Amino acid sequence: MSRFLIKRPLPHGGRLVERVVRDPERAKKMIKGCPTYDIQPTLHYETGVPVRNVYREIMSICYGFFSPVEGSMCQAEVERILKERRLLNEWIFPYPLVFDISKEDYKKLGVGSGDRLVLNLKGKPFAILDIEEVWEISDTEELAHKTFGTPEDNPEVVRERFNKKHPGWVIYKSLNPIVLAGKYTIINEPVFRPPFDRFWYPPRKAREEFDKRGWRTVINHQTRNVPHVGHEFLMKNAAFTGDLEPCHGILVNAIIGVKRRGDYPDEAICEGHEAVNTGGYIKNSRHLPTICLWDMRYGNPLESLLHGIIRQNMGCTHHMFGRDHAAVGEYYDKWSTQILWNEGIPSFGFDAPPTDVPYGLEIRPQNMREFSFCPTCKEMAYSETCGHEREKLSGSFLRGMVAQGVQPPSIIMRPEVFKVVVKWWKHFGYPFCNEKYVINKEKELEVDLKDL
Amino acid sequence: MADYFIDVLLDENRMAKLKGTGLEDNIKYRFAGELKLVEVHVSEETKNKVLETFDTARTDSRNAITDVPVAFLRELFNQVAEKKSLGDDVVEAVLAKSDEIKELAAKESEFLPAPEID
Repeated sequence: MSRFLIKRPLPHGGRLVERVVRDPERAKKMIKGCPTYDIQPTLHYETGVPVRNVYREIMSICYGFFSPVEGSMCQAEVERILKERRLLNEWIFPYPLVFDISKEDYKKLGVGSGDRLVLNLKGKPFAILDIEEVWEISDTEELAHKTFGTPEDNPEVVRERFNKKHPGWVIYKSLNPIVLAGKYTIINEPVFRPPFDRFWYPPRKAREEFDKRGWRTVINHQTRNVPHVGHEFLMKNAAFTGDLEPCHGILVNAIIGVKRRGDYPDEAICEGHEAVNTGGYIKNSRHLPTICLWDMRYGNPLESLLHGIIRQNMGCTHHMFGRDHAAVGEYYDKWSTQILWNEGIPSFGFDAPPTDVPYGLEIRPQNMREFSFCPTCKEMAYSETCGHEREKLSGSFLRGMVAQGVQPPSIIMRPEVFKVVVKWWKHFGYPFCNEKYVINKEKELEVDLKDL
Repeated sequence: MADYFIDVLLDENRMAKLKGTGLEDNIKYRFAGELKLVEVHVSEETKNKVLETFDTARTDSRNAITDVPVAFLRELFNQVAEKKSLGDDVVEAVLAKSDEIKELAAKESEFLPAPEID
């Protein structure tokens, strides 16, 4: 076998976390006599609009997307993450993940360390939390600043102090003060609603699917957007990385969760990516659109670290990163993700890239610049190879066009993709996420639960 | 000083309205000529006003102001045609109607008619 062959990496942390009980009788026994708590969405500290739902974190943790994380984090773990972006077991991880409740609810529940709490979703038992520690967040605003960094503490990449215009900062600022830390276990597997059901490939299933398809090397495309042709070219060209031959597969992994007003609905995002392969622009046999549940924090370099972890756990060998990866506004340097993966960011605890530090990642970054239309070449062209002046593609420019009811030229958005946008536009009465969509979605969620 | 701008898309109807205004020379043909538009140029100060007035508004990687309400873009075109200008003055005129635009934007954030496509 050639020494150039790249092998599929092990899950982050060495083993895939799977904390799902599939036997209903066992599940019933596990929850008998335990106190219950109805999961509620985290509400924006000013507007009261949902900004996060911890059920998504529980799903992603228990199905192994965030391996080796197994639950809500204790205080020491959160403090270590904020300082060094490492878990207590040394493996790198970017964000604090906590199960937070109000002081009133905590009092009412009367639970403590050693207790088991049943977490209900939509009125039905969904998961358990085995409480190991109860701790209090002293200042959520400080937590929010430490989570994303500040220009003073992280001058390499943070350009602007985070504020309420940043959705991720708002999530941490809006947390309840009491944290119940401990491991989660799903005891009643949710059933995904269409169209999400056909995109659900948790890490074990994704790895099995890669085997089935004969994919040894797989490059991931991170998305929270309906694809335009620039995205398509990014995928196609990044796929030429690999080892002896281009990557066997392109995994599209869409982040599904609470989003900003103005983003496309999650349904349109999933089906929009699917339309790229059903339309033949990327062969179905080389392309797999999937989802991961997570309320985006828009943490640019830190978010890219989480994305690397998720996709390594899913079995990808490569991950493409572009400009302003998972960013909003101008809080971070627009290339900060690539700075992290190229050289590290010492103030975040990385003196070297996350692939070159102990207990780091094995997934390989493919740092890409930009694709845009070149009127001289008369095709989509790469910024680093095309010598002409190009016409930049911007997602928000496209959204403006869509909102005005103008069908984007096929040279920038495939008609099959636009059809999907219009399909869900008709369904929701609006082409993007609006307040109504966000509120309804949090009521309905992506899943239904069976009786236990 | 950064040069910010707002794209104003032109369909046949809008093209007709610009005819004879002297703005025809400013029409840009994008993406192999499939898209026609004019760019309204905006100072840093006016850009900040737009971002402050409309909470969804932001600038993208091209320095374009995006994610403004559709009502804003409609009024922007009206002002371009009326003032025969592509400068700050048209955006200032739109901002002067911001209360009206916000009212329309609130309605449009509930419902926008979808285009009929094949």
